[in-house]
Amino acid sequence: MNSSPIPNTAPFAEEEIEILNRVVGPASPTQRAWLAGFLAGMNTATTAPQPAVGAQPAEPLTILYATESGNSERLVSDMAKAARKMGLKPSIVDMADLDVATLASVRRLVVIAATWGEGDPPARAIRAYGELMGEGAPRLDGALFGVLALGDTAYTEFCAIGKALDARLEALGGKRVVDRVDCDLDFAEPAGRWIKTALKALAPVEEAGRGRVIAVDFGAKAASTADLGPVEAEITEFIDLNSSQSEKETIHLELGFDGAAPPYKPGDSLELYPENDAAYVDDLLKAAGLASDAALRAELTKGRDVTTLSLKTLESYAATTGHQHQEVKALLESGDARAWIAGRQLIDLLQFFPITLSADQLLQVTRPLALRAYSIASSRREVGEEAHLLISAVRYQSFGRARKGVASGHVADQLKKGQRLRVKLRPNRHFALPAPERDIIMVGPGTGIAPFRAFVQERRATGASGRSWLFFGDRHFTHDFLYQLEWQDALKDGSLTRMDVAFSRDTPEKLYVQHRIWNQRRDLVDWLDSGAYFYVCGDAKAMAKDVRTALVRAYADVKALSVEAAEQAVNNLDREHRYLQDTY
Amino acid sequence: MTKELSRNERIKEASAYLRGTLAEGLREEITGGIIEDDAQLVKFHGMYLQDDRDLRAERVRKKMEKAFSFMIRLRVPGGVCTPGQFINLDHIVRTYGNGTMRLTTRQTFQLHGIIKSNLKATMREIDAALLTTLAACGDVNRNVLCNPNPYQSRAHAASLALARALSDHLLPRTPAYREIWLDGERIAGGEEEVVEPIYGKTYLPRKFKIVIAVPPSNDVDVYAHDLGFIAILDNQHEIDGYNVTVGGGMAMTHGEPETYPRMADVMGYCRADQAIAVAEAVVTVQRDWGDRVNRKHARLKYTIEDRGLDAFRAEVEQRSGVKLAAAKPFTFTSTGDRYGWTESDNGCAHLTLFIENGRVKDVPGGVQWLTGLRRIAEVHDGDFRLTANQNLIIANVPKDKRKSIEALVAEHGLTTGASALRRNAMACVALPTCGLALAESERYLPDLVTALEERLAAHGLAEAEIVIRMTGCPNGCSRPYVAEIGLVGKGPGLYNLYLGAAFDGSRLSKLYAADLDHGAIIANLDPIFAAYKSERRDGEHFGDYVIRADFIAATVNGADFHKDTGARR
Ligand code: SRM
Ligand SMILES: Cc1cc2nc3c(=O)[nH]c(=O)nc-3n(C[C@H](O)[C@H](O)[C@H](O)COP(=O)(O)OP(=O)(O)OC[C@H]3O[C@@H](n4cnc5c(N)ncnc54)[C@H](O)[C@@H]3O)c2cc1C
Ligand SMILES: Cc1cc2nc3c(=O)[nH]c(=O)nc-3n(C[C@H](O)[C@H](O)[C@H](O)COP(=O)(O)O)c2cc1C
Ligand code: SF4
Repeated sequence: MNSSPIPNTAPFAEEEIEILNRVVGPASPTQRAWLAGFLAGMNTATTAPQPAVGAQPAEPLTILYATESGNSERLVSDMAKAARKMGLKPSIVDMADLDVATLASVRRLVVIAATWGEGDPPARAIRAYGELMGEGAPRLDGALFGVLALGDTAYTEFCAIGKALDARLEALGGKRVVDRVDCDLDFAEPAGRWIKTALKALAPVEEAGRGRVIAVDFGAKAASTADLGPVEAEITEFIDLNSSQSEKETIHLELGFDGAAPPYKPGDSLELYPENDAAYVDDLLKAAGLASDAALRAELTKGRDVTTLSLKTLESYAATTGHQHQEVKALLESGDARAWIAGRQLIDLLQFFPITLSADQLLQVTRPLALRAYSIASSRREVGEEAHLLISAVRYQSFGRARKGVASGHVADQLKKGQRLRVKLRPNRHFALPAPERDIIMVGPGTGIAPFRAFVQERRATGASGRSWLFFGDRHFTHDFLYQLEWQDALKDGSLTRMDVAFSRDTPEKLYVQHRIWNQRRDLVDWLDSGAYFYVCGDAKAMAKDVRTALVRAYADVKALSVEAAEQAVNNLDREHRYLQDTY
Repeated sequence: MTKELSRNERIKEASAYLRGTLAEGLREEITGGIIEDDAQLVKFHGMYLQDDRDLRAERVRKKMEKAFSFMIRLRVPGGVCTPGQFINLDHIVRTYGNGTMRLTTRQTFQLHGIIKSNLKATMREIDAALLTTLAACGDVNRNVLCNPNPYQSRAHAASLALARALSDHLLPRTPAYREIWLDGERIAGGEEEVVEPIYGKTYLPRKFKIVIAVPPSNDVDVYAHDLGFIAILDNQHEIDGYNVTVGGGMAMTHGEPETYPRMADVMGYCRADQAIAVAEAVVTVQRDWGDRVNRKHARLKYTIEDRGLDAFRAEVEQRSGVKLAAAKPFTFTSTGDRYGWTESDNGCAHLTLFIENGRVKDVPGGVQWLTGLRRIAEVHDGDFRLTANQNLIIANVPKDKRKSIEALVAEHGLTTGASALRRNAMACVALPTCGLALAESERYLPDLVTALEERLAAHGLAEAEIVIRMTGCPNGCSRPYVAEIGLVGKGPGLYNLYLGAAFDGSRLSKLYAADLDHGAIIANLDPIFAAYKSERRDGEHFGDYVIRADFIAATVNGADFHKDTGARR
């Protein structure tokens, strides 16, 4: 229906009209009915407004989420909107802030949880997740619940966290009113369906006859107005920052936009629409025994994930190819499948168990090609309507085949200055700069340095008074010191207070950022005691964990604490949102 | 009016005996370099700040500073070290260096490509190997050279002993070296006490080089150094004294005729037991008389030119209390090395290896110098001797060990000689590490030699012993002005050709043609080779021939090095 029912002629200021429209526009008939009654009542009543006749309080619904890169969070705010319309009073809780004890009183609970690392919870959810899984967790007898899991079939621990929570809530006495759905990277549509079913199952039963009246939650803030749609960008600069004698290739991309850059903040990422390697797609078509028609090739190159080989791929391959591939079934049943797919790609499957596929069958065994996120390495305050990215080319050899990352390989091998590409802003309000007077500690080895370049640019431009300390590491000082000259300047002009570096391959015994953190533990704990924010960006597999462990050991040593107490100290940083992480 | 002292003089003065701010600079993690003044001081500690010039062009665009690293030069008097020490150095270059060692024209090792963060660890390993880098460079007495010829073992023992004694006697005494690289702590004791009895606060005006030659070999190019001792043997082959030479040097600067190479003068004769007193006097006179205003005029060779040999001798005699006698007769036959096996009067055998341009490295699919020499060091218990021609001698091999060493030589493709021109060739380091190089040298000479040998063979001169040396700039690090064919870098791909030096290193060459590229070098030499083949008298060396045949005028001494240059025929 009409989204702005209040006419400009209404006796309100423009912004007031705008606000009213934002409320009344999407309101359901019942909500409008209530408003009408409520406002009418207001004129007569001299005392505080009473709920209109026959009103009954809306059913509260707790929507809990565990997110790292924001997908779950976005789903949660959609769900809250829908919930209100269905007569529920949603309250959104980030697991990072969850006080587990409060769950005892919850009657209606939905959880949307992502899985990270190798089947781990998102970093910010680790603490609450642990408590929920441990003895201390409260009983949830009778509480209605449902779980939506976000994940990526490319990982063997697919949706592990969602699965675990689902089982745990039941074990704690909760009543599952909607079955869990495990979403792959293309989660939008299945997640949408799940939200509908879940809300139906959770909404209070209509009492026949009475039009129910629902409290409108004015507290719920409007969704971010930032335009998150894809935009065209032109590559205005393309530099491989590693020396020509380096084993690595890290590309610094500068993107220009027709008009304004996406309204990004330091800490946000840009998602890139990748393209598969043409030669790889040809091999794939050959392996599938398919004549390469332009349309199919285009679809495979731009639209489908034709490299990932997951258990799911194996299953659907076995299914689509039916009886023809007993071996694949056998492999799946043998339980060796996990080991077999490691280091392999779809092409290997087709070449190892060859059969001629139809175009449809080939499409069926693939999933949509997912966007790739890259931390923005610049601040608009310094670079204007540009965005800079830092992309490390993924290249490796396995099973006698030279392989490369879809997106990073495409950027490194195919793109040049002057070419265009599509990107999409991916905000991350959980990895933002604090108040200008606060100190910041940034740990960003490898491409983890990217957002911190944005941080330092921003703080230089705004003349922030807080101190800043950067930890960087890579392989060789001489060949892999990313943005070295810029850091030297930043140290000179004061926008960077301190920098410690660790290069792992210059010495017999490898040296990493966590070792430098340990060396500097006294000053580090001192900074944190005086309120500094601690940021970690980069590799999720090892680095992020090692850095956290190093910090715990630092606290234990400097403050003479037990390991448990030191862990508490670091957990407190989480609680105060001063331990912020953006890892991948 | 007194002219202003050179910048380096002020740096030395302010350095508190070579400390400067080196300790602080080493802690600066974000740059691989050190500040300019410290870069001058660090030389006295045996290091040079360099950068990989092959990478210069790309670095700024890649937002990186120059590819800085340090070259570390050891001080090994007489070039003699133990196999164990060689093994330590092998470990260092594999762990911290660029995987190669460089044997120098002054009988020592250079280790390239050590980054700042690894300097201290490297220096500690060097110290643990009982080796040092102190005073390998800088305005002090450098490594003392000594003819390594093992076949005159008694004379060698005596001259080596003198080389070591001179080296120790003239070593800087400042504690800065241990302090900065090894102990960390600043050793107490103030400026007031005499830290440097011989040098004083500002050391010498310029580098200072001493050599000892044992005739008939002039492999150390005795006339090319500030101070030289030519051993005079008695009939039992024992050394009873030395002719003392002063004022030699190679360096000049293109387009500055007031700079020139110079052959040392023979100043007189002293007894063996007087050598150290004489050396100290020569050093202190140069300390006080040398030019501290203009570094391009600060070497002893210019002091001698300016003050005259007689005045200089008188002052040295006065300070040393040694009355120099008239020089004794001697004869030099060559400046080259004797390759292959030689036997000595002490019944041991010695193997001289030919290491092209002194670069010790493992060539993928080729000669394995680094590994081969380490394997030899593991079984050898004599000594390793570096020659002034960038080669190495496996010395004092007992008869029964010969076979096993020969086997290792063969297994790793090591060379005990080369074709005539190649075994008489030397190139300086130049690009990519040398900051002063104007042209390639070490990376280019081997190809040029191949091309020239092809011409020589065409004229039937394949076996002619002709000394050829190349440098990447006029500083003369491979002593090109005493080579029969000298090629001195002028600019990228361009060289000046010098001819007419004596085979025994006793006469300087002269500029024959300038700015020659590869083709022009060959085109200029080819007709001279042809004429040499047809006109030479027997035993006549190429350097003497080109003068007699009037291709080039003879250079009598440094002062006329730049006179009547150019082709005459
Ligand atoms: C390694 C070596 C050449 C080689 O291929 O072996 C060498 C290499 C360099 N010489 Fe030399 N010189 C080397 C023997 C010589 C000689 C030959 C000799 O002494 O027998 C000379 C000519 C004799 C003389 O001193 O007159 C020589 C005259 C110079 C000069 C010019 C000195 C002068 O009087 O102006 C410089 C530049 C300077 O000192 O300003 C120089 C400077 C250099 C530097 C350190 C460049 C620099 O100052 O930044 C070169 C390092 C290149 C590199 O990357 O390794 N080098 N240099 C020799 C090491 C000797 C040693 O072990 O101590
Ligand atoms: C929020 C966020 C921010 C990010 N920021 C950055 C950034 O600033 N810079 C950056 O470079 N990246 C960043 N990434 C990572 C980036 O999104 C991509 O994941 C990365 O570039 C790889 O994508 P690709 O398409 O090139 O490789 P893909 O085609 O996705 O291939 C990667 C896969 O290849 C396989 N693989 C890789 N190496 C090996 C090996 N050695 N052996 C066997 N298998 C292997 C693994 O299965 C791996 O998952 C970020 C990710 C996120 C989520
Ligand atoms: C570094 C990294 C590790 C991941 N690990 C897993 C995993 O082990 N299992 C899984 O199912 N999904 C995994 N994922 C996929 C995420 O769960 C998926 O992208 C999800 O949509 C993220 O949701 P969020 O934005 O709410 O955090 C991983 C993603 C990244 C970038
Ligand atoms: S001669 Fe010149 S180029 Fe060659 S090493 Fe010496 S200083 Fe460098």
